[in-house]
Amino acid sequence: MPDVELKHLKNRHEMIRFFDGYTTERMEELYAEKLKRPLVKSQLLEVLDGKQARNSRTLQAIFEQHGAQLRALDESMFLVTDNSQGEIGFLEVLRPRIVALYSPLRSDVLCKWVRELVMGNPELDYVWLSGLTFGVLWELIAQLSRPNRFSRLVFTHDSIFEIDNPEPDSDDEEEPGGVSDGGDEDSKEIVERRATTFRLVDRVGVIQEKLLTLQQVYSPLYAISQMRFPSPVGRGGHDFYDNGRVTNRSESFRDHRSHLLFVVRIYEQLLQSTEQRAWYSIQESVRVPGQFRKIVGAPVTIRFREQLTQQVFDHWIKATFERKRNRFRLWGHPLRLGPTKVHVYGVDRHLWQPLFLELTAIGCTAIIPNGTCGNTVHRLVTNIQRFLDPGAVAFVGDKPYTQMVKESASTVHYEPTKD
Amino acid sequence: MSPQKTELVSDPLFQLNFLLWLTQPLPEGSSITPLFFQRNFSVYAISPALVVPLDLQVAAQQAQIKVQPSAKPDVVLTHDVERKFAFSECKASSFGPDSTTADQARSFLVTTSSRAAEVLGLDAAQVRECLLDYLVPESQRALLLQTLGELTSQLSQHGLPTGNFSILGLQATNVEIVLILDEAAAVFFSLSAGSHSVIKFQPDTDPRPLYFIPYDPDVTYASDAEKLFCKRMLFERIHGSVVVAAGRSTVPAEIVLTPNGLLNDAMFGMYALWESRESARHMRGSMQADHARSSASGEQ
Repeated sequence: MPDVELKHLKNRHEMIRFFDGYTTERMEELYAEKLKRPLVKSQLLEVLDGKQARNSRTLQAIFEQHGAQLRALDESMFLVTDNSQGEIGFLEVLRPRIVALYSPLRSDVLCKWVRELVMGNPELDYVWLSGLTFGVLWELIAQLSRPNRFSRLVFTHDSIFEIDNPEPDSDDEEEPGGVSDGGDEDSKEIVERRATTFRLVDRVGVIQEKLLTLQQVYSPLYAISQMRFPSPVGRGGHDFYDNGRVTNRSESFRDHRSHLLFVVRIYEQLLQSTEQRAWYSIQESVRVPGQFRKIVGAPVTIRFREQLTQQVFDHWIKATFERKRNRFRLWGHPLRLGPTKVHVYGVDRHLWQPLFLELTAIGCTAIIPNGTCGNTVHRLVTNIQRFLDPGAVAFVGDKPYTQMVKESASTVHYEPTKD
Repeated sequence: MSPQKTELVSDPLFQLNFLLWLTQPLPEGSSITPLFFQRNFSVYAISPALVVPLDLQVAAQQAQIKVQPSAKPDVVLTHDVERKFAFSECKASSFGPDSTTADQARSFLVTTSSRAAEVLGLDAAQVRECLLDYLVPESQRALLLQTLGELTSQLSQHGLPTGNFSILGLQATNVEIVLILDEAAAVFFSLSAGSHSVIKFQPDTDPRPLYFIPYDPDVTYASDAEKLFCKRMLFERIHGSVVVAAGRSTVPAEIVLTPNGLLNDAMFGMYALWESRESARHMRGSMQADHARSSASGEQ
């Protein structure tokens, strides 16, 4: 816990000033290799119904279910406290559907708190940045940053379904803790399965020159799980994780916030365009209201770069639908249609929304009924890249997913250090 | 589960979902080739009730020709730019000119005529071309061609207008489902006549895609096993709706689930459109029977 009491910050201005000063101090400590307090972390969360995020009372009710209290500083900024942890940080409604929790808590404490909040609440979900989305964001970094600036990418792929592991390492979504920096490696069990987790730190220009070639040679490098936006106002940058956590390693909190806003605007646009395109429903024919109905929507297709083996396919289906704790957080009864084909008229077990899936050794087709949150799609893509095929490509209808991310990004202008 | 492929291509519900998938936007290289989407055709209406113009009903009566006053093709496809409409009907097999199905076919032939715009409730200028197409197993093509030819002649002889018709044949091999277009369909859909591979699948695998419409009590299924499987799909979707409602509630909570609401959820809202009240009753009865069985066996 920081020894500064956040409750003394009375308004947004004081809060921003505090975090700016706090950030500068931490960076000085970091450069001197004497970090005394945790860095500022932000956790981006999607509030399932955008109307709820706009309504502070509903937002308070969502957090109260988890034993947390929100105290309003203004219409969109709240102090978050918790009975057991005390002060957690500040929550800001960044966009109608997205909130950010800014916190100076230690990473492990904050991650645990957020995980319990999200897992226990179908109204909240992480912001899911898949490897495909990071791929497009990387292009923006390369375009906007000087080539001699340093960036940091982490790639995470773990073929957990190559073996039949009855107990996942942790409950559901694993913390994207990044690369292990040590620990007792001697005592670890030898498990022969493909697992890639490593970080790459280099100049933007060098990464840009080599990344595509490296990815083509070794597909796990498509599974980008963390990425640093170099700060345009000084050293360091902003580390975005695939579950919407962002660590501020820059000298400015304002710059940190503006990077959050930039990515969140893209993400919100992506959510909207995914839903507009993918949602299936029966609609009235406009020309003859009340008479004729037609089916509208577009399937989501995820195509694997490498065909799954029978064994991996079987473990995937078994682990996902026969065990309560599973990475994909899906519910349903698979209808077996062949050795490597099942249909599941199921449910997204986190958001509790329907989802119809065809799962095969070469890919996955999803039908998203009207009202099912676009986040379901982005979580599915993220998990498939992470646990099944890092080089998987996705489409919504006949449009490539990456094209949708690019189009979403093109509507947002990059304005560092501005609100 | 791996049904006989020949059985599946003669199942009207498979055919209906197959037709819907042909209009879905899918990327190049998918296991399903959406032929009609690629030619810019989309679904205009599912199972619309089309009324035969009254003067034509009177004329048919006077000529002692049986015509259903209204008929519901399974799907109406449209090409917005070219102002084309295809009335598509799925059938397990051909039928004779004296069967009750022939009465329905006469209605379709009349409604796809020069009166199609009126039947669709559109201006004449909004409909440039109309086609009646039957989707049947390829083995039924010759017989159906003969029947439709006879029905067209019969109507024409009595001065009743008729539209063009075509037959879309479905054939299954061990690894693909093929759609076979005759010349009329080829011209209408701007595709080549002959065979088009539409669904590719692994051997020993059921080729069916995900079903948009999982069940229809009015359909005569290709087999009891097929009917059971479709019912299973429906109940999986209903079960999902119940799980969704329970999962989203904050306990303790009282959840009100109605058969109509659940059936509509499971059918993308199609249940509300079924005009046959008997079918609707059958569906609600099935749900209650299933619930009773589940309760008796202690299933969760």
